[in-house]
Amino acid sequence: MTPLSFFWISILVSVVGALASILVRNSDSTAIRAASGAGIVASAAGLVSGLSALSGPAAVIDLAGPYPFAHFVLRVDPLAGLMISVISLLSLVAWIYGLAYMREYEGRGVGGMGFFMHIFIASMMLVVAADNAFWFLIFFEMMSLASYFLVIFDQNDEAVSAGFLYFFVAHAGSVLIMAAFFLMANAAGSFDFAAFRETSLSPTTASIVFLLGFLGFGAKAGMIPLHIWLPRAHPAAPSHASALMSGVMIKIGVFGIIKVGLDLLGGQELLWWGVVVLAFGAVSSVLGVIYALAEHDIKKLLAYHSVENIGIILLGVGVGMIGIAMNNPTLAVLGLMAGLYHLLNHAVFKGLLFLGAGSVIYRTHTKDMEAMGGLAKAMPWTALSFLIGALAISAIPPLNGFVSEWYTYQALFAGALEGSFLVRFATPIAAVMLALTGALAVMCFVKAYGVIFSGPARSENARNATEAPHSMVAGMAILAAACVLLGLLAPLVAPVMGNIASATLGVPAVMFADGATLMPGEGARTVLSTPLIAVLLIALAMLPLVIHGINARMRATRRHTEAAWATGYLPDVHMALTAKSFAQPIRMFFAPLYAVRKTVSTVWACLTRGYERFVCFARRNEPWADNRFVNPIASGVGVAGRRFQVIQGGDFRIYCLYIVGALVALLIVAAS
Amino acid sequence: MPTLSHFLLAVVQALALFAVAPLISGLSRFERAKMHTRRGPSIFQDYRDIYKLLRRQDLAPGEAGRIFQFMPVVMLATLMVIATGLPMLTRFTPISAVGDLITVVYLFALIRFFFSLSGLDSGSSFAGIGASRELTMGVLVEPIMMLALFVAALLAGSTNLGEIGIAISSGTVHSAAATLLAAGAFAFALYIELGKLPYDMAEAEQELQEGPLTEYSGPSLALVKWGLALKQTLVVGWFIGVFLPFGSATEMSFFGLIGGLIAFVIKLFVIFGVIAVIENSVARARFRLTPQHSWLGVGAASLAFVFYLVGL
Repeated sequence: MTPLSFFWISILVSVVGALASILVRNSDSTAIRAASGAGIVASAAGLVSGLSALSGPAAVIDLAGPYPFAHFVLRVDPLAGLMISVISLLSLVAWIYGLAYMREYEGRGVGGMGFFMHIFIASMMLVVAADNAFWFLIFFEMMSLASYFLVIFDQNDEAVSAGFLYFFVAHAGSVLIMAAFFLMANAAGSFDFAAFRETSLSPTTASIVFLLGFLGFGAKAGMIPLHIWLPRAHPAAPSHASALMSGVMIKIGVFGIIKVGLDLLGGQELLWWGVVVLAFGAVSSVLGVIYALAEHDIKKLLAYHSVENIGIILLGVGVGMIGIAMNNPTLAVLGLMAGLYHLLNHAVFKGLLFLGAGSVIYRTHTKDMEAMGGLAKAMPWTALSFLIGALAISAIPPLNGFVSEWYTYQALFAGALEGSFLVRFATPIAAVMLALTGALAVMCFVKAYGVIFSGPARSENARNATEAPHSMVAGMAILAAACVLLGLLAPLVAPVMGNIASATLGVPAVMFADGATLMPGEGARTVLSTPLIAVLLIALAMLPLVIHGINARMRATRRHTEAAWATGYLPDVHMALTAKSFAQPIRMFFAPLYAVRKTVSTVWACLTRGYERFVCFARRNEPWADNRFVNPIASGVGVAGRRFQVIQGGDFRIYCLYIVGALVALLIVAAS
Repeated sequence: MPTLSHFLLAVVQALALFAVAPLISGLSRFERAKMHTRRGPSIFQDYRDIYKLLRRQDLAPGEAGRIFQFMPVVMLATLMVIATGLPMLTRFTPISAVGDLITVVYLFALIRFFFSLSGLDSGSSFAGIGASRELTMGVLVEPIMMLALFVAALLAGSTNLGEIGIAISSGTVHSAAATLLAAGAFAFALYIELGKLPYDMAEAEQELQEGPLTEYSGPSLALVKWGLALKQTLVVGWFIGVFLPFGSATEMSFFGLIGGLIAFVIKLFVIFGVIAVIENSVARARFRLTPQHSWLGVGAASLAFVFYLVGL
């Protein structure tokens, strides 16, 4: 029972930490220490719990709970174990980072921030472990609420309006999820996921359930076109909270899609479900990165990249569903494994990039990349970590992002080789979309790194910046190391991911690694070896280094002169390349796609405006109804009462007369 | 894992290509000069340029950072890693763990990442614009490359470059039209990647490929020039290995390798001749017009995909 006992420890410590940070909220530094200390212990326990559940058979515990209709059941299976590990790893790093970072918020209610962070993390852990639809929804709502309070933490107009949008979309999503669960509960006669798994629905009902769940969880995951809240809500939250939201919370959406599509409805998949997931994934990945390129707010840029990476994860999940529908377990495991691997990788590098952005913002006090520049010299460790994260997210070998994208390509390729016409048509197109995404991501992160860390400093704060505090650097270093290790040690990681995928699907395991080589299944005719590539890169780098060094004695030493060449003029800060001008060719070439965004946001603006108008209407009509119905009735009753007061004259002789009158009337009635 | 002989072949292949790359770029300059009816430089001119630069002082702008400093090394190392994975003298890939089409495409992306970033890292606005354009070209080219190779891989049943070459040379691909179109689209994409007219002028400063190099000097510039020469050779070798593997060694034998080497040199010579002809018969196209051209590549690759689907 190791997974479950450590799970409980983690939850309890989180709750204690939440209460503690509220209790000592009057002293900011104590609150930070209490929250972070408890957080580090809780996430360490969570990490143990998650990692020990990876190989496991599922650990289930059934606590009856207060409601007879919904037992409080927890089930930590390998998939939940993966999610718990990801949540715990990211929150561990976020807490370490927060030790210094939260000081930025001193005097603005850090205690509350610690409270909501703890509740947020604990409810995410409970969501992935809950095995009952009712409790799942409760924790899902808790997670949305806690993160809502983190989004509006800054209390400025932008944060509050972003928070409102987030609140709106999150609840629209919850309603769809609820509808999906109720449909299943109706057929199963119970809210237990175990009962859902046993029940088979008619294909139409199953499709409706799937679509409801897919759209509901898709809104949480931020896939296009339900992404609209994401680039506004994530940047508004404090950076370590945005690392958790982008790194982990949107993965709960993907987890939900896997849960509904492959676990609860397991075995009932229809082919077109997978193709729908694939289509949404491909569109999200390309549009996400294209919109990211046009951003110059660093956190918005990263948030759009989350949309892109959710798309890439969905490509893998889509192939997994296609594989199950086609009765091809090898393909299904390959696809799901690629998706899960990318889920883990994205959590790590996106967390890292958000923390890097947070460090830069901590020093420059702006989110606008145009006001940064030249920070690599002042913040070398932040720059190095950010560079590793940028390389990983651009899927550059031999880092982790490349390994999972390679498996995604292989899954798409395997799908294209066999299958019906629809699948053979859809998968290569998805692969090309992925290639386009990759090229655009490279461009985007060259821009992000270049504009933030290279060139001249473009503001006073950027000129005076110094390296981030130790605990923030430590947090980034952990994740940077994870990026490298998850790439180089892929031959060890891939089989674990494969086991999680095959355990989730309930099919036999597939071979993904042999020695130091990676392969997509047993009979595959292609291999990859990230350790070998790394060794070759280092070994072959010696040759140019030696050539560069041969004549070093004979020539003058390296010199850094004053300024770059600027056609003979004195270089000026305003000449430096900006984020906007860097992406100009892409904005020109892909103008139609940006027009789509304008249309989408107009539609959303219409919806929001419609909603506001509805609220106004309700507000206007509330007094109207009062005036027309409630007030007339109320005043009518008053008037009638006053009329009747006449008979209540106060003279007791008249009262006696009433009594005699009533008696006579009764006698007449009784006689007749 | 590769056997020792495969590993040796890979290392020898990478080092040999590294050694002759300036010769091949010199050859390309020589062929071009002949077409202009100029005498032109000797084919060894690029070695002399590199040697001269290696003796000069390394100068960098004050704002240039570490990435600017280390890019030449990263570029050359990555190019040589790619060279260990491409099937050139042999049908099969010397190190198959590198010779996957996705791996090779993303290793080129690694080069592009650092190459462009060095432009930004130099602190020069001109280099930055060069970097932006270089990356934009990557965005236009990579999808064409991927679709064309993907179609070829689907026909061969494997994403390993050697396997694709083997399938094409043995005639087991059952769709000749699709293969030809994919080859055409891939050649077009690689041509853009080469950095020749009408899409780029590799020799001109402030153009795309040399754009990010504005601030390089001395030994660093020598290494980057060497790297660009090696990149052009590899790009052509990539095409030969996948779509024109005829004459290369099917097994690891001494005479097979010699035969493969001779065939490879002849193919390289012919292809650079064709490139020189194209280069000399067109004018520089405006950068903004490139997407209109690249749609042609997308179209050809898509058509190849359609032909594959219907099995023509």
